[in-house]
Amino acid sequence: MITNPGRTSGSQDHRPGVTGLPLEIDHVTKRYDDDVVVADLSFTVKPGRVTGFLGPNGAGKSTTMKILLDLASADHGSATIGGTRYRDLPDPARTVGVVLEPNAFHPGRSGRNHLRILADGGGFPTERADELLSVVGLADAADRRVGAYSMGMRQRLSLAAALLGDPPVLVLDEPGNGLDPQGIRDLRDLLRERAANGDTIFVSSHLLSEVEHLADDVVVLNRGRLVASGSLSELQRQETFVRTPSRANLLKVLQSAGGTVRSLENDALLVRGVSIDAIGNRAHRAGIELHELTPRSGSLEELFIGWTDVSSVDGTSETATEVRSA
Amino acid sequence: MTSFRLVRAELRKLSTTKMPWAFLAVLVTIAGITAVAVIVGTDADGSKAFISTAADQKSLMAFAYNGLMIAGLFGAIAVAREYGHDTVVPTFLIEPRRHRAVLAQLAAVTLAGGVLGFVGTALTMVAVSVSLTATKFSFMLSAGDVTQLFAASIFAAATGALLGAGIGTLVRNTGGAVAALVVIQFIAPPLAVQLVSEAISWVPGTLANVASGVADDVGMAASLTAMIAWAAVPAIMSIFVAQRRDVV
Repeated sequence: MITNPGRTSGSQDHRPGVTGLPLEIDHVTKRYDDDVVVADLSFTVKPGRVTGFLGPNGAGKSTTMKILLDLASADHGSATIGGTRYRDLPDPARTVGVVLEPNAFHPGRSGRNHLRILADGGGFPTERADELLSVVGLADAADRRVGAYSMGMRQRLSLAAALLGDPPVLVLDEPGNGLDPQGIRDLRDLLRERAANGDTIFVSSHLLSEVEHLADDVVVLNRGRLVASGSLSELQRQETFVRTPSRANLLKVLQSAGGTVRSLENDALLVRGVSIDAIGNRAHRAGIELHELTPRSGSLEELFIGWTDVSSVDGTSETATEVRSA
Repeated sequence: MTSFRLVRAELRKLSTTKMPWAFLAVLVTIAGITAVAVIVGTDADGSKAFISTAADQKSLMAFAYNGLMIAGLFGAIAVAREYGHDTVVPTFLIEPRRHRAVLAQLAAVTLAGGVLGFVGTALTMVAVSVSLTATKFSFMLSAGDVTQLFAASIFAAATGALLGAGIGTLVRNTGGAVAALVVIQFIAPPLAVQLVSEAISWVPGTLANVASGVADDVGMAASLTAMIAWAAVPAIMSIFVAQRRDVV
């Protein structure tokens, strides 16, 4: 059982008046030798919302988070938390809670001692470690070696560490990994509750169905480039289903308008990046007959595959920019 | 205040794994071997001359060089495994001004090294005192000798731990850090002496023995300064390198 420490420890007293801070990634580029891992990436994560950070393996999500947290340096651009670099935050342990992959534990150390070390370093009372162990449901395993923990237990311990300072910003890299269904549900409730209280929640995940339930906004990377960002509900309404007997002609017209177009069966097209009005106008001007023109709400999984497939074919930032929500 | 809590966290790190117990076992083993040597060992002529005078007993119980080497390994392993297990990541998240975090780590390991030096000397003295009862010789060291041996051992082990911690931070891999330490402690000094014979006065073993009062190749102040300088070079380098490097 993962509960919000605010409910068990009176955290509203612990952090009076604290609200989340925006996270700003501004034209960040990161290279490892000749390999560009993150390419001119810019986006903002807003307080009071849960922002899902998505992308295929190797897309650059973890690297971006590490740059935000000053664990890795950017070759170009800047990443700030409330306008301040992580290293310049006056009290980082009380400002940002972090879960990173892979989990960083000494296998021979107990879960309790792991948290006590972090409590010592952050200047929190030692009892806070025990409190958080109860919050994440590890009180009974507190004195067991972390090396004997299951993956889910390690993930709970990571969450406990992230919540130690009751921070208004959470940066979580795959926090649901290894959690059982109840744990995932508890995590979702905890993150939603904290976002509702004004906290900034930035969470990467490959569990798209989970992100669909959890996130208000999404930021999607592919090969280090931004392919989509914005309100998830808006992005999901961004596609238009078109049926026409002149599919090839319409495809050319819409692509020349900058749209991303996928051919479907039965003379149908799925269009992103061109508004429904613009599709109708351009088809009319080109003398193309339309049999259906319908806004379509796609699942996040469909959208994700479309975004990442498109980019893997085109690999252009131009395409990516077109998909961004307003 | 920040520095104090960081050092406290680092000390808790060092004390919450089995590593200190492993090193305590090494110290107990060394003390046991020394005791056996006192009881059954003889000089080439079959006599027990090696424990027959206060100076001989002082040489036997001078733990400073052992402490320096053992604490060096302790420091190298303690710090390098931080990188191996990625536990340095939460450390740098709590204190992103990395020079502070690394300084706290170096300070904690240096303190722990001093403790190893103290415990090693205490165990050795107890072992020798007890084993001397099986011989015709008594414990001959003066209070001043005992104090000097403790002080030298604590100092040498602390500098050894600092050296090891600096190397551990630079190398970041436990095997690599231990290998680098072996080269610096065991391979480089004899090579240096072969190249320049005067270097014998400045190798770690000689410096530790001078500090213990069982050698006089250089002055006491020079010996202590040289040991600090020798350990401080990698430690200072590690502070600068840790600032610039990506952690993961």
